[in-house]
Amino acid sequence: MTNSDYKKLADRKSDYLAYEGNEIITWCAGCGNYGIQKALERAMVLEGIKPKDALFCYDIGCHGNGSDKIGNKVVYTLHGLHGRVLPVAAGACIANPTIKVIAEGGDGGTMSEGVNHLVHAVRSNYPMVFILHNNENYGLTTGQASACTRKNRPMNGSPDGVISNPMNCCDFVMGLNPTFVARSFSGDVKHMTGILRAALKHNGFAFVEIMQVCPTYNRATPQEWYLERVNYLKTTPKTIDLARKACADLNNKINLGIFYQHKKAPNYMEMLVNRKGVKTTPMEEVERFDIKPLLKQFE
Amino acid sequence: MNRTTLKVAGESGMGLLSVGRIVAKVLKHMGFYVHSDREYPSLIKGGHSNLQIDFDLKPIHSLSREVDLVIALDRSGLMEYLDVIKKGGVLVHGYERHHLIKDLHTKAKKRNIKLMYLPAHTIARSLGGSDVMVNMVLLGLIWRILGFSLKPLEDAIKKQFATKPELLKIDLKCVQAGYKPHELKKIPQYKIPLPKKVPKTLLLDGNMGVALGAIEAGVRSYFMYPMSPASSILMHLADFSHETKMVVKQAEDEITAAQMTLGAMFMGSRSFTATSGGGYDLMTETVSLAGMTETPWVCVVCQRPGPATGLPTWTGQGDLNMVINSSHGEFARLVMSASDPTSCYEGIQHAFNYAEEFQIPVIFLSEKTIAEAQTMVDVFKSKIPIKRGLVTGKNLEKLQPSDRFKLTKSGVSFRWLPGTSEIGYYGNGDEHKEDGTLTEKGPECAAMYDKRMRKMETLKNALPAPVVYGVKKGADISFIGWGSSKGTMLDVIEEMKKEGIKVNYLHYEYLWPLKEKPAALFFKENKKVHILEGNHQGQLATMIEAATGLKFKGRLLKYNGRHFFLEDVMEYTLKARH
Repeated sequence: MTNSDYKKLADRKSDYLAYEGNEIITWCAGCGNYGIQKALERAMVLEGIKPKDALFCYDIGCHGNGSDKIGNKVVYTLHGLHGRVLPVAAGACIANPTIKVIAEGGDGGTMSEGVNHLVHAVRSNYPMVFILHNNENYGLTTGQASACTRKNRPMNGSPDGVISNPMNCCDFVMGLNPTFVARSFSGDVKHMTGILRAALKHNGFAFVEIMQVCPTYNRATPQEWYLERVNYLKTTPKTIDLARKACADLNNKINLGIFYQHKKAPNYMEMLVNRKGVKTTPMEEVERFDIKPLLKQFE
Repeated sequence: MNRTTLKVAGESGMGLLSVGRIVAKVLKHMGFYVHSDREYPSLIKGGHSNLQIDFDLKPIHSLSREVDLVIALDRSGLMEYLDVIKKGGVLVHGYERHHLIKDLHTKAKKRNIKLMYLPAHTIARSLGGSDVMVNMVLLGLIWRILGFSLKPLEDAIKKQFATKPELLKIDLKCVQAGYKPHELKKIPQYKIPLPKKVPKTLLLDGNMGVALGAIEAGVRSYFMYPMSPASSILMHLADFSHETKMVVKQAEDEITAAQMTLGAMFMGSRSFTATSGGGYDLMTETVSLAGMTETPWVCVVCQRPGPATGLPTWTGQGDLNMVINSSHGEFARLVMSASDPTSCYEGIQHAFNYAEEFQIPVIFLSEKTIAEAQTMVDVFKSKIPIKRGLVTGKNLEKLQPSDRFKLTKSGVSFRWLPGTSEIGYYGNGDEHKEDGTLTEKGPECAAMYDKRMRKMETLKNALPAPVVYGVKKGADISFIGWGSSKGTMLDVIEEMKKEGIKVNYLHYEYLWPLKEKPAALFFKENKKVHILEGNHQGQLATMIEAATGLKFKGRLLKYNGRHFFLEDVMEYTLKARH
């Protein structure tokens, strides 16, 4: 965020306030979600997206408990089921691609319960933003291991330590021919804002992983641990192979930034052969369709 | 029975379907009423299949168990259906070594069945054709036996193979050779009265009815994971997609298809999905989410027998209890059923209107035999207006966030689409207050729960009552049923009338919420009420008994993968009417 961005935020104060929630927040003190929500609100305002022109879709988990904490009577949200935020959001963005769809999910729902949805959302390049809240555990169900929990770490339900290898989410997505992959950190609102702005601008499926601290259940990688390790990429790697290398390390030097972007790839709606040249949205098109010409073959 | 029935039997992949399609279409164009369905195993090549066509001068709605003519394309086709040929019927085949099958000749003789062997393989090959063209040779012969002129058949074949002129030439030669076989001395001859006029009708299957109805209803996106016998809806809609510009998406699984449908409906398009029982199992959490967030949602469930993979390519009515009781929690939903292509076409349109006006999930039950049976129906009349129940225009300016889930008397609150108003709302899968914000306070939770459940009563009152077919009251024997049973019952009523037996039938198209009063009245006005259902428990019967305290006189149940043949119900009727 630059000084002119701050000025812009000040100028658009009413929009900014519109994104501010009115409900009592129920996250733990020090939770990474505060920063993520703040960065998202700023990114929306800075990108000039009016509250009514967006749909926020939430998975189940601590981040999902923020589903009614964003916006003051002006935003539209859908708080769905565990692991299913991607398909529900995909359906929504297909129905009306002029509304910006932002989906959020945790590492539990995304990398375990609904990992197949992630695979196909990336492949399909739906025009939407996906924010992965990766706090490396199941917070809302009180601290069980997720697919991203560090190896050997004792967790509730795994007192002897996690025995399987943790997943690297960005690396996983890299194998699917993505069009936008980025990583940020919940302790840096400015960086998150920048990444989310780029994601909001992306024409296609924008995958944003946010390394999120969980002060209650994830004692392995707290704020200080990240601060000692995060490294900001100065440029976006040119190829997917270089991007893969850049996102690989999650232990010593954790790179943050946009790893990969393919700006010219058509999104899902643009790839549909039968809708070439169609200017309207499926939401606007709901009206009686004359089937008479289709009936001929049955006469 | 005046109808004529013929069965084409053979291995899957032997060209059964193309013969069946041609015959059905020619008969239609000659002015006959046609009903045809296919029995086949769940594999692509080999395995035994058959296609049956019943036709008559007047409308028919079902298949009979016993047939007049069988065309056997291979050895297994010869033996499998000998027993279902009527006494004095005809079996046409091209199996060279038939004399080696001892049973065949003795069995045929016993029941006076005429075996007509034509060396169809040799004939087809001598005319430059392949083994698949055996079907054309035998088709020619059967056409001769039926006593029809060759011309309309030739015309239909020309149309079918218009794009393959080389193949067409051979096909025509094969049919002609079968029609005038110099190898046969005596050819049995049917005398079927010809129709005087050609009624304006459509010949199509139920899944096509669903597809056409959905297109007309303004559906703009369709999401599905393939599963028999629902898969052809995906193909039908995809085939039309260049004309309709509909988004047709094969999803990665049924969960996705269900969720994408919900997302698209939430955003304000019209969208639906379809599957069979096993796929629906995976969708149930989404049905619950639709119930909670009061998002309209429509799913067609084409039933096949379970449990598990069960009988993938056969039919049944075993999933009524499941779709009524599926999903966690309690919420308002509508379960309705199709019985033929017309009710598929109209039903899916009503399904969308109910889903949107009441903001509920709607499950539309079909069956394999409805989904795939080619039936003749009156030309579709567009008459069902689109009703969306949305806040629009100036009213959008008066909205409050609390209007979205307002605690109304009817249980139905205001719904407007994302982006259409400056006032937003939280579509919350957690229990919530009127604006969708989360609450766990006891009284607030109960009030919202009550509101959602009130829609059940409102919906029940809005639904059309079940319809009585046959005499209105005082029948000798009565039936209640749903789904494909209607077609069989319509024909049973007519056949029994000829015997002087008064039969009537109460058909439940809308199954849940159950309108029990019409059933109670039906019991009052008729002495002997029976149920017929394609499942083991008599699921609708049990529901009606629980709701009315009345008892059915008997239950005619079938769950072997086959639908009710005409004779099944006629025999039961003759026994049970006393």
